[in-house]
Amino acid sequence: MTHGTNRTRTVNAEGIARVEGEGSLRVVVHDGTVSEVSLDIFEPPRYFEAMLVGRHFSEAPDITARICGICPVAYQLTACAAMEDATGIVVSDRVQLLRRLLYCGEWIQSHALHVYLLHAPDFLNCQDAVELAERDPRVIERGLALKRTGNLVMETVGGRAVHPVNVRVGGFYSAPEPAAIAALAGPLERALDAALATVDWVAGFDFPEVTSSYRFVALRQDGRYAIDAGRPRSSDGLDVTPGHFAELSVEEHVARSTALHARLDGRSYLTGPLARYALNVHLFPEVVRHAARAAGLGETCVNPFQSIVIRALEIAFACDEALRLVAQYEPPVPAADVVIARAGVGTGVTEAPRGLLLHQYEIDADGNIVRARIMPPTSQNQLTIEEDLRRVVEGGLDLDDDNLQWRCEQAVRNHDPCISCAAHFLDLQVVHS
Amino acid sequence: MSPLDIVVAGLGSAYRGDDAVGPLVAELFASANFDVRDVGPLEEPLDLLGRFDGVDLAIVIDAVRSGAPIGTVRVLELDAGHADDASPAEPTVTSTHGIGLVGVLRLARAVGRAPRRLVVVAVEGEAFQLGSSMSEAVRAAVPEALFAVTTLIESEQQCA
Repeated sequence: MTHGTNRTRTVNAEGIARVEGEGSLRVVVHDGTVSEVSLDIFEPPRYFEAMLVGRHFSEAPDITARICGICPVAYQLTACAAMEDATGIVVSDRVQLLRRLLYCGEWIQSHALHVYLLHAPDFLNCQDAVELAERDPRVIERGLALKRTGNLVMETVGGRAVHPVNVRVGGFYSAPEPAAIAALAGPLERALDAALATVDWVAGFDFPEVTSSYRFVALRQDGRYAIDAGRPRSSDGLDVTPGHFAELSVEEHVARSTALHARLDGRSYLTGPLARYALNVHLFPEVVRHAARAAGLGETCVNPFQSIVIRALEIAFACDEALRLVAQYEPPVPAADVVIARAGVGTGVTEAPRGLLLHQYEIDADGNIVRARIMPPTSQNQLTIEEDLRRVVEGGLDLDDDNLQWRCEQAVRNHDPCISCAAHFLDLQVVHS
Repeated sequence: MSPLDIVVAGLGSAYRGDDAVGPLVAELFASANFDVRDVGPLEEPLDLLGRFDGVDLAIVIDAVRSGAPIGTVRVLELDAGHADDASPAEPTVTSTHGIGLVGVLRLARAVGRAPRRLVVVAVEGEAFQLGSSMSEAVRAAVPEALFAVTTLIESEQQCA
């Protein structure tokens, strides 16, 4: 939709939204040069940070799970990690492995959702996933089957797929029966095949030739492709504890936006699949590395449009890793450690499907939360997404409104801002002066 | 006679004022003794995929904004006709964000996984901001929404 005069034009990109008015993109062009790009994203974590104050530490996993219906496990397990850090608890290996299995389920379902239903239509000249499904139902059915497998893992370990109910600080409310976990092997084997077919499929898309100079940040987890824990590392040599990372990564308000913008040592950075791949690709199992080579990827990928290939590889990895965890599963006994409150500050970090997620809590001697900080991937990636958008707009000033709008939306989709954590309703405003 | 496969789902967020009415009605209904599947609270229509596949009847309780008086309860049948339309009530899918209910139904139909019937029990709301409370008019409409769900199921079972 376009409004405008000779000097000003406005393009509204209205997405499907159950809650509207929470995201906007403003671009100002002066004398043919882009002078401002502002992506304004509404962030539910700010509300939850305030709501958590005064609540008992044991409530944090279930409360923060409600921040996002797509990645509740990320919020639950990051909250657990932070509270266990604050209370000095180290969970058993069996608990940690079961958490990793649960997280694999979330990676599978979340990445399948994004790859098939939100991102792939961009490359196939489809308006949306519905059009793609009507044109090629077998492809979409493969994506939905992957999503169902991810949901199955989450339901088996977490009690249910949307907002799992079996996670607690110190472990789980109950450990799944070995037979229930073993029953996941068949679906996961089929999902691995489907994931590898997904890699082949998306690798064949035509990608715009775009390269960006990203500063990557991802977790490194003792010899494994990081999911459920690790130390934050960057592509320019940073290697710090989660607590130190929380000090270095500063979120700030900027006047033109209601969203927080995170900077690391004063500069922008990118978390998520591209970052994980660049920093940890050597930790992929051979089956996934082989698929990456066959897809034409090197040791790093700096074309944001190819993030869809990385997500497909991560689906394959999550299936393979889940199969390994299923094969070695032994129920944790007890299912959860007893956690005794003490005054302190704790920091937790994990790799949510969209990128690094950080929780930090201060609790008092009674276990009540005094201060909460939740730094989602979207706020950390915000500045980098804006930098990508600036390049897209600069390269597309000759496009008409509809095409420029579409190109901008693609640039945002490349980084998969969370449906719930990020923009529900994108208004794109281009002002020429 | 084989039992009907019926799913009842509440769509919405517990933290967004009137948006919580769907999950609330579904939760209250789940405590009743109907032989239906409770699929838990869902926040996005996409969450229905894999949960309403091929069932005889899927009932979705959801808050809506249509300009009707706050608390109005309506029962809307989303049939093949609606799903084929570029429905003016829900624009076609664009942008970075989710897919609406009609889009999800069309997608499910394309892959042969649509429910035989999809009925929306829609409750008109007004407050959807994060952290807002449920409107009194919406809260007062909960019994009517529950009754609508119950009536739909009893009617379906009688017709079977």
